[in-house]
Amino acid sequence: MHLLPTDEQVQIVDTVTSFLSDMAPVERLRPDKYGQIGNPDSNLWPQLGELGFLGLGLAEDDGGVGLGAVEEALVYRQYGRNLISPEIFGITLGAHMAADAHLNTASEIMSGKIRVGLANPRGVVSSDNGLSGSFHLIEANRADLVVVLAPEGPYLLPASAFEDIEDGCGMDSHTLLRRAQLRNAQPMSSRAISNTHKPRALLLLAAYASGLSKASLDMAVDYAKMREQFGKPIGAFQAVKHKCADMAIAAEVAACQVDFASVVVAENRPDAYYHATAAKLVAVEAALKNGATNIQVHGAIGFTAEADAHVYLKRAHTIDILGGDLRTTRASMIGQAAPS
Amino acid sequence: MNLDFSPEDEVFRAEARDWLHDNVPREARPPSDQGMRAFDLAWQKLQFEGGWAGVSWPQEYGGRGLGLTRQLIWYEEYAKAGAPNAELLFVGCNHAAPTLMTWGTDAQKQYHLPRILKGEVAWCQGFSEPNNGSDLGGLRCRAVVEGDHLVVNGSKIWTSSAHLADWQELLVRTDTDVPKHKGISWVICDMNTPGIELRPILIMTAPGHHHFNQVFYNDVRIPLSNVVGPLNEGWKVAMSTLGFERGTASMSEQIRYNVVVEKLVDLARERFGAAALEHDEIGARLAQLRAESSAVRAMTYSIASRAAGGQPPGSEASLMRAFFSQLQQRIRRIALDVIGADSLELPDTDDPWIRPYLRSYSNTIAAGTSEIQRNIIGERVLGLPR
Repeated sequence: MHLLPTDEQVQIVDTVTSFLSDMAPVERLRPDKYGQIGNPDSNLWPQLGELGFLGLGLAEDDGGVGLGAVEEALVYRQYGRNLISPEIFGITLGAHMAADAHLNTASEIMSGKIRVGLANPRGVVSSDNGLSGSFHLIEANRADLVVVLAPEGPYLLPASAFEDIEDGCGMDSHTLLRRAQLRNAQPMSSRAISNTHKPRALLLLAAYASGLSKASLDMAVDYAKMREQFGKPIGAFQAVKHKCADMAIAAEVAACQVDFASVVVAENRPDAYYHATAAKLVAVEAALKNGATNIQVHGAIGFTAEADAHVYLKRAHTIDILGGDLRTTRASMIGQAAPS
Repeated sequence: MNLDFSPEDEVFRAEARDWLHDNVPREARPPSDQGMRAFDLAWQKLQFEGGWAGVSWPQEYGGRGLGLTRQLIWYEEYAKAGAPNAELLFVGCNHAAPTLMTWGTDAQKQYHLPRILKGEVAWCQGFSEPNNGSDLGGLRCRAVVEGDHLVVNGSKIWTSSAHLADWQELLVRTDTDVPKHKGISWVICDMNTPGIELRPILIMTAPGHHHFNQVFYNDVRIPLSNVVGPLNEGWKVAMSTLGFERGTASMSEQIRYNVVVEKLVDLARERFGAAALEHDEIGARLAQLRAESSAVRAMTYSIASRAAGGQPPGSEASLMRAFFSQLQQRIRRIALDVIGADSLELPDTDDPWIRPYLRSYSNTIAAGTSEIQRNIIGERVLGLPR
């Protein structure tokens, strides 16, 4: 038993961290640069593909790097810290499902040539005769394929399957959100594949959320050290210091459970779904709480568009809803048998 | 990262499970007084004789020298077996023993460690004072060197089970002319020494529950050979004592709470129905508590991994402690909501929920209040100014 990253895993994290800090600094999301104009990261996919990050957890026989859910989760934590476009979930899950369904598109997804958006249910999804229901399409404006995060797990569909598309404006100001319908649409992947990747979907969302919680913490702490009132840094006051401590606790809780769940998912253990669900619950809670506290620690500037605090909070709400919100996820958690 | 246990570990686990199955006491643990003392010491003795006390203690002190992973496995099986939480022995096993191993003289180690391990003695703590709780460094219980003895005058308070203990880990001020943290010594105090008087302090859990004491020292003579670590270096020694508490000593409790939560889930399913629970506010809270206690186990594993690699407990131990103490309270609190109206009753014996609920209010006070923990996290982990 060893729940710390190996040297090789640390190296992977270092590589992606340095790539993202060069190519995807959070400043890229400032409203004067992008605002609501959409996915700022599509130009990263081919580069991430070349570095192997888009096929990190896929078997070498399937054209992937041959690593697993542990490495994927470690990298997704960094995606969360840098607020990488949620399209990344479509790409990773889409590549896995395409490979499992023996589709040639798997290699094109992993090289970043094919775009994979996301669809999340707005209500009940029927999967009796193909998929039917109302959805939000996320980051799917130029998508060739779409990953549907259905309650029983993710499905891969052609983007052309969606009908009645209505443009809208997303609360998470740096993602593209539209409404759409599916009517008896046939997925390219089977229900068995959905079930296989359901824990992975929750794990990656949790890992991303744990990154969000850490980024909000770091931003709040940096500000509390620098901003002075009453002649000293506000971080010297317990009212602020203890808020920061609570953020640190929440981020650590999330990170440890994500690590634990990533091993369980990687090894496809029977309790993979249980621990991935637990990871999403604690990580989303941490991301939402830290997102909100970061705004409060910043005071008025935290409420403005020009500070980045709001972007972490809004993204946390997106991650909460994707794959099932807190309420649904808690119902699922309490319904499961305890792992042995 | 991996969660694999070696085949040898799995053999150890099976042996532990079998032994616990055959030996865990079936009678309820008396909640206080001499009955509790006799129970805890007898259970410790039984574990020692079975070879299960001190799994990770060095062999030279009577342990098995098996390392932290095996210790963790033992705690996991201990929790699953529903073995009792022998609280009276906590200070001896988890404070005094590791402190003596690190700082003690050969004579101190040879005398005390086997007695602690075999369940022959109970220890209590003598840190807090009436005017120095959170501000421990300002303690003023005075000890003056006279020949080869220290003569102690002053008072300690909130001393759990002082009336049941044979020995005390006692912090005294041995130099008043230096900055406050530099004049403290950590000494072993024999609780039967003349001049020690106890005043019982009843606690809020149940009528007449004698748990705490105020301890008065009137010209109490303690041999200088009972000073642990150098004279006047007691602050450093005490910080390592508390370091053990914040590090690996709490693992057993952290692991046990997964079992406590599952008992509550079972109770709630029984009471409300499994299907209805999924759409109930209590179900949602229990779900979150399940996730959080699962995270506590993950944090314990990560702390153990770091410790097994020889790294001292770092920031993660402070974060864990602050989180876990509040989580215990949330878990204990929801038990009352699950039980409903009958939670107004205080059972005579066999009380898995009501006394533990009331007792949980001490979780965020003992061993550093939540507020002190947050100061430590803010200043030492996050680097915020004082």
